[in-house]
Amino acid sequence: MKSKILLLLIVIHFVINAQTKISKSHSYQQLNCSTCHSCQIPTKENPCLRACPRESMIRIDQKPEEGPRILTINKIKETDIYEPVIFSHLAHAEMAEISGGCRTCHHYNPPGNVIACSECHGLQRKREDVSKPDLKGAFHRQCMNCHRAWSGNTDCLVCHQLKGKGKLVSQNKELIVKRIHPEIKAPNKITYTTNATAGKQVTFYHNEHVNLFNYECGDCHKNDNCVKCHSKINTVSTSKKSTKELHNKCSNCHDTNSKVNCSFCHSEKEKGPFNHLVRTGFDITKFHSKLSCSRCHTTKNKFSGLSNECSFCHGKWSWDNFNHKITGFILDETHGELECNSCHKEPTYSKLDCSDCHEDKSYPKDKPGRLIKRL
Amino acid sequence: MVNESRRKFLKLTALIGASITGLSPRKLKAAPKNILDKNRMGVLVDTTACIGCRKCEWACKVAHNLPTLPLESYDDRSVFRNMRRPDDKALTVVNEYPAKRQEEFPINVKIQCMHCDHPACVSACIVGAFSKEEIGAVVWDTKKCIGCRYCMVACPFQIPAFEFNKAIQPEIRKCDFCFQRTKEGKLPACVEICPMEALTYGKREELVKIAHEKIKLYPERYINHVYGEYEVGGTSWMYLANRDFVELQFPKLGKNPAPGVTEAIQHGIFAYFVPPVALYALLGVVMWINKNRKKTVEAE
Ligand code: SF4
Ligand code: SF4
Ligand code: SF4
Repeated sequence: MKSKILLLLIVIHFVINAQTKISKSHSYQQLNCSTCHSCQIPTKENPCLRACPRESMIRIDQKPEEGPRILTINKIKETDIYEPVIFSHLAHAEMAEISGGCRTCHHYNPPGNVIACSECHGLQRKREDVSKPDLKGAFHRQCMNCHRAWSGNTDCLVCHQLKGKGKLVSQNKELIVKRIHPEIKAPNKITYTTNATAGKQVTFYHNEHVNLFNYECGDCHKNDNCVKCHSKINTVSTSKKSTKELHNKCSNCHDTNSKVNCSFCHSEKEKGPFNHLVRTGFDITKFHSKLSCSRCHTTKNKFSGLSNECSFCHGKWSWDNFNHKITGFILDETHGELECNSCHKEPTYSKLDCSDCHEDKSYPKDKPGRLIKRL
Repeated sequence: MVNESRRKFLKLTALIGASITGLSPRKLKAAPKNILDKNRMGVLVDTTACIGCRKCEWACKVAHNLPTLPLESYDDRSVFRNMRRPDDKALTVVNEYPAKRQEEFPINVKIQCMHCDHPACVSACIVGAFSKEEIGAVVWDTKKCIGCRYCMVACPFQIPAFEFNKAIQPEIRKCDFCFQRTKEGKLPACVEICPMEALTYGKREELVKIAHEKIKLYPERYINHVYGEYEVGGTSWMYLANRDFVELQFPKLGKNPAPGVTEAIQHGIFAYFVPPVALYALLGVVMWINKNRKKTVEAE
């Protein structure tokens, strides 16, 4: 009997769940129910949602274009004062892309699609559970955080239009639909002149960090907001920053505490771009240039500990698993049957030694096959 | 100086008043009213969320039929150059305290009556014009008030204001926690309008819990102090902030309810044993003066 009731409850639970707007299949996701719900069987009436676990955010990544282009915010019936707000979701999503992405505003999201603010923040200000703000509060807390920093004031009329007082430019629907944030042009290289006693210059190759090291904007810019580029008040913070604060952005990946490392970034003259051969003694331009760093450096932000011996990554080579042609050199018949180490004495396969068989021959003067254009 | 002499005057008036009613047979307070209800309401003011838009000031005035400038004019932040206090024309005001670091926002603090759980104004009022209501509000009754302004002296937050500019029937004015509105099931006007919901309206008990949860969840955002949880025995309006409340000009108060000055003075009377006859004589004089004044006012 008991188990039947339980089964029934579970069925009801799914039926009800299927009706809620929160992505229908969310209960089938790889997630512990108790992350979000505090009771065994949540229902629509009593979802027993836990307070937003903002620390244990569930990651959502959607492209700005995947969200709505504009939103007309007319749920909050304060109609006696203001007209509904027309909000360019696209432009804001594009702006957010540089910092935290969707998460900049959608600070908590169950797995699945990005959900609207109103899914968690109710319309009623007068309510039983006041542990999280209502929708009006939630909206303004998100908006004002940036808008205030950006404009330095809290003017309501920037977004709101008083009822019956003509159209604001900022509320012109046709204009808002077209509104996008221009593509952010990232610099290739930034040179900083620092106060360091030794090594005044720091050359930062932005393009390398993005293209070569595959960092996402948010990895470094997650705490940046609009003011970083647009400020109606002060552009640059004049308050003196401590050494620690200055290093903050870099210290996520670079160990900025140890004095030994200073010269990694600091030098007297401008530094050249990243060169794997110079930095590590391992030339990647020949065979590994198309790989992303993470193919070999599999632990994020850890780049040491790899050996330059081929077998370290590739395992043991034999004729079964190695096609010599890809090196740009086709071996002739006689040489095509030898063991690798008959000619390549070193584990890096970089040099060629003919002396085992030939006394009078040497590479590259004599070739055990023919060179072709490398594949 | 002016203030001090006014205070002295008020205390004197109160002394007289106290002695008079001390002897009158009328019951001082409607006792059941001043019992604390478990479910009394309160407001949690999150000063880290408040943006100083002053919409609350506007809404409060509209709700209380006080004259006000148009809503748009409240966007003007230049008023923050001066520190303001609530008065008879504005039952609540928002002040601003500069940010400590450039990348931080200034802090805005809304001030109004705290609706103390053990209100000094209630115990100070000799005719029981003040009462702590079941819902949590401390309200004032114009019919009972004799204008002694005792409450003004007693209040540890200096909230009750007197309509000094009004010659006829001046009233004590202070935030009434929107007593009328809440009776009708509405929210206090300021709570309803606040765009940030920096003012959270709920059961006081609940709010205390929420406040501590917030502090626990965001230790960098808040200092570990809920102002009003214990101050003067607890208040219905409570505050969260990210710096010491003293820096935001909140009075540093103990956990004990602020004494109604009445008690102190009544003790004083007892100590000096002023003969009742003298008090009656004094009363006579006061009444006579008042009567005469009324006449002149009416003549005018
Ligand atoms: S309405 Fe809210 S946010 Fe605005 S000043 Fe008042 S308390 Fe602060
Ligand atoms: S703050 Fe002052 S006026 Fe308000 S209840 Fe407390 S003592 Fe009375
Ligand atoms: S509760 Fe009512 S009276 Fe008090 S400040 Fe708010 S709006 Fe004004």
